[in-house]
Amino acid sequence: MANDFGLFVATDVAKCSGCRACEMACFQSHNVKRNKVGKTVGTITTPVTPKLYVTVIETASMPIQCKHCENSPCKAVCQQSAIVRIGQQVIVDESKCIGCKDCLVACPFGAITLLPYYVKGQPVKQIGGVENKVAASKCDLCLEDPDGPACVRACPNEALQVSDINEERKRKNIAAAEALAIINAGAPERRLLP
Amino acid sequence: MSVVIAIDQDLCTGCQECTKICPNLAIEGLPRQPQKINDTKCVMCGQCVQKCKSYVSVAEHGFGAYAKVRKARGLPATVTEPLFAAYNVCHLDEVLRALEDPKVETWVQSAPAVRVGIAEDFGAPLGTLAAGKLAAGLRRLGFNKVFDVNYAADVTIMEEGSELIDRLKNNGTLPMFTSCCPAWVRYLELNYPELRHHLSTTKSPQQIQGALVKTYGAKTQKTDPKKIFSVSIMPCTCKQYESGRPEMVDSGQRDVDVVLTTRELGYLLKLKGVDFLSLPEEKFDLPMGDYTGAAEIFGVTGGVMEAALRTGYELVTGQPIPAVDIKAVRGPNGFRTADIQVGELTLKVGVVTGLKNVKPVLEDLKAGKLSLHFLEVMSCPQGCVTGGGQPKLIVEKDFEMAYKARTEATYVHDRELPVRKSHENPSVKKLYDSFLKKPLGEESHKLLHTTYCGDPKSHH
Repeated sequence: MANDFGLFVATDVAKCSGCRACEMACFQSHNVKRNKVGKTVGTITTPVTPKLYVTVIETASMPIQCKHCENSPCKAVCQQSAIVRIGQQVIVDESKCIGCKDCLVACPFGAITLLPYYVKGQPVKQIGGVENKVAASKCDLCLEDPDGPACVRACPNEALQVSDINEERKRKNIAAAEALAIINAGAPERRLLP
Repeated sequence: MSVVIAIDQDLCTGCQECTKICPNLAIEGLPRQPQKINDTKCVMCGQCVQKCKSYVSVAEHGFGAYAKVRKARGLPATVTEPLFAAYNVCHLDEVLRALEDPKVETWVQSAPAVRVGIAEDFGAPLGTLAAGKLAAGLRRLGFNKVFDVNYAADVTIMEEGSELIDRLKNNGTLPMFTSCCPAWVRYLELNYPELRHHLSTTKSPQQIQGALVKTYGAKTQKTDPKKIFSVSIMPCTCKQYESGRPEMVDSGQRDVDVVLTTRELGYLLKLKGVDFLSLPEEKFDLPMGDYTGAAEIFGVTGGVMEAALRTGYELVTGQPIPAVDIKAVRGPNGFRTADIQVGELTLKVGVVTGLKNVKPVLEDLKAGKLSLHFLEVMSCPQGCVTGGGQPKLIVEKDFEMAYKARTEATYVHDRELPVRKSHENPSVKKLYDSFLKKPLGEESHKLLHTTYCGDPKSHH
């Protein structure tokens, strides 16, 4: 069924332990081809650059990741057109990002940060410069991975799931309608008189 | 006792994933607060090191944090892999100093599981068998002798197999427990000291190799034992502790000077620019690098049992064992038993893998609900191939695949080796003919056997 809204990964806060397995899996998934990351940590030659950020507070822990907003403020403010919508997803094109931080300012959740940008195990240099480039890094829902978001698969507590909010809303509508139908059937005084 | 396993208080998020798998409840702390290891309970198996995912991150700790933590842990600047909250203390600097000192004779020996793990950290598929490249890589690093712990594993079988037969014949304490796994030995000493006489007095292959290197090895290689710096490469974080046990000095000095894990060997190879996967296949040095298939399977659960049975059967019956592959003791289950017919005796054997599975077995033995002659125990999930010092998987979903691949590679190596029974190892035969004379003999007792907590020879 066609989904009009962008999907996003939602966390069951009661299940999340804050272990950061999602961050490692996210990094691995995005760097197998780009930076030759294998199955073991010994194959990692670059800084770990995830696209979601585990946040631990006194009462809970959860990864903060992009909600793929329909009216994306990050996309709206990006003057380089480095943030685009592909299908329903909001995606960063790192090669265009100049590290201006406007998207960090715009995102109300802090779901984006600037991280080192490596290709083939080497840091990408700034244009015309010798210094290493940074690029905006945020969830892309593992767009290139046929198995879907790596974080969801890696979570040892099954705390993460891809949320289809439109489907969820319809499910809630149906459940509410079913409940109301029963209530109304048993309460003739609530029927509108002809 | 120096610290072996630690949790970095600045990195730990308090997720307690390690707490869930710690076999001796040694990790303490509140949820979402940094956890601490209780050193009086830790058995140093290193499974928490394998589990931990809380790493030094640019986003969380800043751009300069990684290099600082790497330096604080004594790791060379060529290390690029992520650094996690739970880690084992690294002794690479001691090995580097020894390798650079021309007056020091550096002798190295590797455990069986190292050769089915090390290539993974260079990007090879999980469970790639790299015995020949391992020998070549150690030689490129400048070690003067490239021996192998598998040689000592064959000696272990000669001693431990003979010990079992002796216990059976002379009403010794049964069941006999294997003593190769130092985390298991420590667990038993901490929790069931009354059962210590069940532990085989035969030392682990690492410590047998250590004791022989500085006596028999020094003699045959015409080297002053005081000049030898003996390095073990192990899939295990607990072997460093074992080598440091006060009683492990039977050669007259510290038998094993320092232990590196499989992962740390990877750091060393990368530091020295050794392109591991391009290395040729080379042999280990003789005589103490000569080994059989029986020794190789020490790396997998059930392997010590199978190796002991291959030799024990022939020592007892005088006949060749009908099938060298003893599949009844193989498999991934946490506890399994088998009845093995050895001549007129039905030998009842048990195999435990994963230290969490041992408690009910010990309780049943104590309560008389379980009757066994011989019990193998390995602390890690599927034996040493899944040890705390093995290459660490990035995602947990790959654990099972890695365990299976490393186990299969170990059995492949066993099948391919020309000799598959410890007592047929020609270099081990020579060791007994020229030096030890016989298993359980005077020299063996001095060098190759030990005692446990509370016993006179022990300093604990």
